[in-house]
Amino acid sequence: MTKLKVGFYGITGCAGCQLSVIFQEDDLLDLLELVEIRAWPFIKDVNDDETFDYVFMEGLVATNEDKERLLKIRKNTKILIALGACAHTGCVPAYRHFTLQKNYAHLLYEKNKNISDVQPSPIDSFVQVDYVIPGCPPSKQEIRTFLKTVVLGNIPKSYDNPVCTECKLHNNGCLLEVKKPCLGPITRGGCNAICINGGLECWGCRGPTDDANLPVMVTILRKQGHGLKFIKDRLVTFAGTKMPAVRKLVYDKNNKA
Amino acid sequence: MTKTIKLDHLTKIEGHASLTVKIRNGKVERCDLGSTEGSRYFEGIVRGRQFHEAPELTSRICGICSCAHTLASAFAMENALHVQVSEQTMTLRKLLNWGERIRSHATHLYFLSLPDFLGYESALAMLPKYKKEITTALQIMKIGNQLVSVVGGRDLHPVSAQIGGFLTLPKQEQLDDLTAQLKACRPLAQKTVSLFASLRYPRFERELANFSVYHEKEYAMLTGVIRTGKKDYPIRKYHDYLKEYHERDSTANFVVKAGKEYRVGALARVNTSKDLLAPAAKRAAATWFPSQNPFHTNYAQAVELLHAIETCISILETLELKPEPPRRADLKSGHGIAAIEAPRGTLWHEYLVKDRKIVYCNIITPTAQNLRSMQEDIRAFLPRILTQSQQEIIDSIEKLIRAYDPCFSCSSHFLDVTWV
Repeated sequence: MTKLKVGFYGITGCAGCQLSVIFQEDDLLDLLELVEIRAWPFIKDVNDDETFDYVFMEGLVATNEDKERLLKIRKNTKILIALGACAHTGCVPAYRHFTLQKNYAHLLYEKNKNISDVQPSPIDSFVQVDYVIPGCPPSKQEIRTFLKTVVLGNIPKSYDNPVCTECKLHNNGCLLEVKKPCLGPITRGGCNAICINGGLECWGCRGPTDDANLPVMVTILRKQGHGLKFIKDRLVTFAGTKMPAVRKLVYDKNNKA
Repeated sequence: MTKTIKLDHLTKIEGHASLTVKIRNGKVERCDLGSTEGSRYFEGIVRGRQFHEAPELTSRICGICSCAHTLASAFAMENALHVQVSEQTMTLRKLLNWGERIRSHATHLYFLSLPDFLGYESALAMLPKYKKEITTALQIMKIGNQLVSVVGGRDLHPVSAQIGGFLTLPKQEQLDDLTAQLKACRPLAQKTVSLFASLRYPRFERELANFSVYHEKEYAMLTGVIRTGKKDYPIRKYHDYLKEYHERDSTANFVVKAGKEYRVGALARVNTSKDLLAPAAKRAAATWFPSQNPFHTNYAQAVELLHAIETCISILETLELKPEPPRRADLKSGHGIAAIEAPRGTLWHEYLVKDRKIVYCNIITPTAQNLRSMQEDIRAFLPRILTQSQQEIIDSIEKLIRAYDPCFSCSSHFLDVTWV
């Protein structure tokens, strides 16, 4: 049986998603046996980027170079996977879309013409994405399952239950009941509610479920006494680019981004 | 005769960087090292956000040192809003920081650096002959990750370490399990030290100021002063002695002290604080340090790995946790600065908070501070290797850059990053 030709790449990001692959620890070598690693610039010198069956792409597009690299890799691979929140939603760096320009204007490099900054965007703004492994960071378990599934020739399934489902299975008390701004009800699970297990409310890093009820989420948070600006900021921190409805819902003249 | 070397995509480093070198008549005319990573403007992103959101947001600056960013921002906020954390919180933060340093050093040593010294393109290519070494690496990385995971709730971007303390605490059986695993890991750390002591490092020394957090009672970590050369400086006054600047035509940002570059990271720390190492690590360091050879950063990391494991065992053996919610901030406004040791060196976070909102943030990462040292090292190192073939020159320079364990993801969120 010929092995699947696989590449791991990163554009602008924090390298955490690729580390989630390297940090498979006891399972890493067995997993890598299953496929042929054709390119992985983070840990390899020789990177044959001609043809792939699967490419796992970490990071978001923040420069023209990112964009060119992404387009080239898309051409060379049969299947492209957005690995982690930056590739999927743009994650925290894409929150820049929703903040005031004056907040970061002083950091821009106007003097230097060579800097080819582009609006920070998830990779599906430029290319077709076949699968998403969401999360910041993505779940190591999910990466393992994905690889094993495709090696067996099966089609990976995405998980669309909210974080609350798994949170209940972990016997956690509901953080919304203690007035913490938890986005669990509208956020796609599959993370085993890891943040809530650790005492932290869900920030929505895996993006909204298909049937996310934004208006009710906002109402609940408002009732708890959270301000509109705070709610808006939280909703769009990790996955604002995937919630067009949020603009209509919480942006008004006084809260304009 | 002019020779130009341009490396557009340096491999086996965190993030993306390039190097342009121009040599004319045997002289280095130009040597520019910089990041090609897109800028993410984290310092701008946190403006206008609530102060307690800073650790979660800034953790996303870096995967491998997310704990360091989380902790530095928590410390800076606590300084700003006068929150005193408990001794228990400090102990847990140490474990978190050491866990991160263990997995980061193991990853760098075995996956990014070792292939250079053994003549392989990657750790994966080493597998047929060196499976035992790679397995050792994975086991050490695992114990580091478990430390972070047990204490912080997740191995990347921890969740429970917050301003004022920890949202949840590890269970006693988890701590006991960690102790047992760390003890089993001791021989692996010893093996790592022996392995990295046996490598042939290029002979290259350049006098540079070491720079790190220093505490007279414990090895460079989370608290103390800045020690550089023989002098100590208060952390909160860093604006007085550090300067960040852009160079118009050059690329990355630079950080200098009194106009001069300095060295941060494992080598600077061992050089400065080697007397404070655990006995086994101190013995390993004895004849090697102080050293002015940047390639010795690798060995310094191996020494720190051993020290980290010994230190965590002794912390865990006496640790008894009691329930304790995070302490709350009474103040709503303030100004706070913190510097801690991240795996790659001193990490600075500074915030100005007004009425619970962040109005100003400045972050200086270890790699930003090392950039100029790296560049000047390359400039000084090049004349020695000019007679080699182009490929050999490239290999040697890459080895030097990797020895610094740079993280360009981190360094480039902030400042100037183009290439010519």
